[in-house]
Amino acid sequence: MTRSNRLFLGIVIEVPSRLTAGSHVMTPQCYRPGPVFDPKDLRRHILRMAFHGQSVHVACAFSLVEICSVLYSQFLRFDPMNAVSPGRDFLILSKGHGVMALYACFREIGWLKDSDLDTYFRNGTHLRGLCEADVPGCEVTSGSLGHGLPIAAGIAFGLRRLGSDRRVYCIVGDGEMNEGPMWEAFLFAAHQKLDNLTVIVDANRYQAMGRTEEVLGLEPLPAKIEAFGFATKECDGHDPEALTRCLSDLREIGSRPGALVARTTKGQGVSFMADDNRWHYTRLTEHDYLRAVKELS
Amino acid sequence: MMRDMLSQLLVEAAAADDRFIVLSGDHGYALFDSLRDGHGSQFVNVGVAEQNMIGVAAGLAKVGFRPCVYGLAAFVPIRVLEQIKLDLCHAKAPVILLGDGAGLVYSTLGVSHQCGEDVACLRPLPAIAIYSPCDKFELQACWAEARRADHPCYIRIGKADRPPVHDAAITDTEPHWTNQRDVHNHDRLIVATGSMTSISTAIARTHGVPCLSVSRIKPLPPSLVLAVQSHRQTIVVEEHARAGGLFSALAEELASAESPSGRPHLAHLGLSTQFTFTAGSHEHALSEHRLDDAAVNRSLTAWITASPGQMS
Repeated sequence: MTRSNRLFLGIVIEVPSRLTAGSHVMTPQCYRPGPVFDPKDLRRHILRMAFHGQSVHVACAFSLVEICSVLYSQFLRFDPMNAVSPGRDFLILSKGHGVMALYACFREIGWLKDSDLDTYFRNGTHLRGLCEADVPGCEVTSGSLGHGLPIAAGIAFGLRRLGSDRRVYCIVGDGEMNEGPMWEAFLFAAHQKLDNLTVIVDANRYQAMGRTEEVLGLEPLPAKIEAFGFATKECDGHDPEALTRCLSDLREIGSRPGALVARTTKGQGVSFMADDNRWHYTRLTEHDYLRAVKELS
Repeated sequence: MMRDMLSQLLVEAAAADDRFIVLSGDHGYALFDSLRDGHGSQFVNVGVAEQNMIGVAAGLAKVGFRPCVYGLAAFVPIRVLEQIKLDLCHAKAPVILLGDGAGLVYSTLGVSHQCGEDVACLRPLPAIAIYSPCDKFELQACWAEARRADHPCYIRIGKADRPPVHDAAITDTEPHWTNQRDVHNHDRLIVATGSMTSISTAIARTHGVPCLSVSRIKPLPPSLVLAVQSHRQTIVVEEHARAGGLFSALAEELASAESPSGRPHLAHLGLSTQFTFTAGSHEHALSEHRLDDAAVNRSLTAWITASPGQMS
């Protein structure tokens, strides 16, 4: 199957949000589209984890729900029976604070069960509040910011040396772009012409202590990344069609790594959390949990 | 000389293993001439960007490569300590770190390029082995062990243009006598590592004092501890700070060993050299290191109530 056959722009894929195990086992030789995740389902999983685990970072995960959904349903090659299958594409979550969005996807894929999600933040669990590589599918340990992108660049560099057509996607935060190694990695990836690497900036305009523009201004971010030698796109990070279109375009450009600045809203999906940075830190009460779930029903 | 041996080892590894790849942060100008001549594609100058370099090495290791990262010790490992901890040690990535010019080698350049704390920074990290060869023969043995390892290794290289200390090749990284012990004299022992081994050996020979060369600092060879215990006095010579280096490593072992009274002079109850395996409460994390309240209570009570000889 050629690369162009993997595109399914604009095609509505009729697959239940709950994936039946084994329904689309993939290898690079046998590629079929993944399931379409309903963002509402993913956000409900996140709320469930955050409420039962009494954890923080709900808003950090909410902003990248559509990004993860689109990547797993339309771009990443993976085996639903094996999160570390040898031929898989890589999704590196450099912004480890959004890890609940990954866990929610893993639940939809089948790599995690509801009972696993219920262990989140509990004693003895591997599901930590930040991304750690011992959870199959998580790939790297991130959360200390500025680590994931250099590793993603190393993976992409290695895959290209091996002549592999496997691809690397790396989700970074806009706050994370404060870190020096991110720009070192941009230089390296562009210099090495890593066209098998796509960086997606979850640009939710907030970092831990305030607005990114007020803490350490980044804009014009797309122009900066473009100037580093990346093919760069910008879109609404909560619009699956726009995300799909931009990521497809970036995949086909060749000779340069790609970057998508996905304009998102921290806490997107629940009215009283959207664009409110308190939900970086706030733990859910039962009242707020039920109110949020109701909005997503 | 050690530097020539290093160049040779890099070339041999590149020839033998397609997965072997050397990364440099724009350092090591002439060292890589032979490697670049014969195996240019297996040498990558990633630029003056050491933090990215460690991440790239971790990524390469994840897809099957066996990277070797070269830098001056002032930068690798000091500048990139967190990358080593998370990207390499936590991932148990089989990456060899070469820290060149360790100690005060760059004496004329000044403090920015000097490094007397690299071993101290790495010793507490899980999974990583630390080597400090004194000459080309020890380097060869350390390199061979590091190449076989399934975890990160740091090889500290000090002044690299000195002649060999040993007479012939060495096949392991155990401590080796550079001046034989006198079977009738267990009074004094000199323990040296890295660049200090040559001068220490010369003086030891002049005075007829036994001298041990230590090329592997972590894990510390038990035979070294036994050798020190069998002498009345030992002095450690190293081009490294007192805190955290070979002296410190030995002192920790000796303090924790049983004294003539049967109990250690100084016992330790603290974190183990391991990352937490799972998440949970603070108390849960402490329990993985046997440092939760109940475990501390058990250990301290046992320590307080034990009669001499009951506890080690």
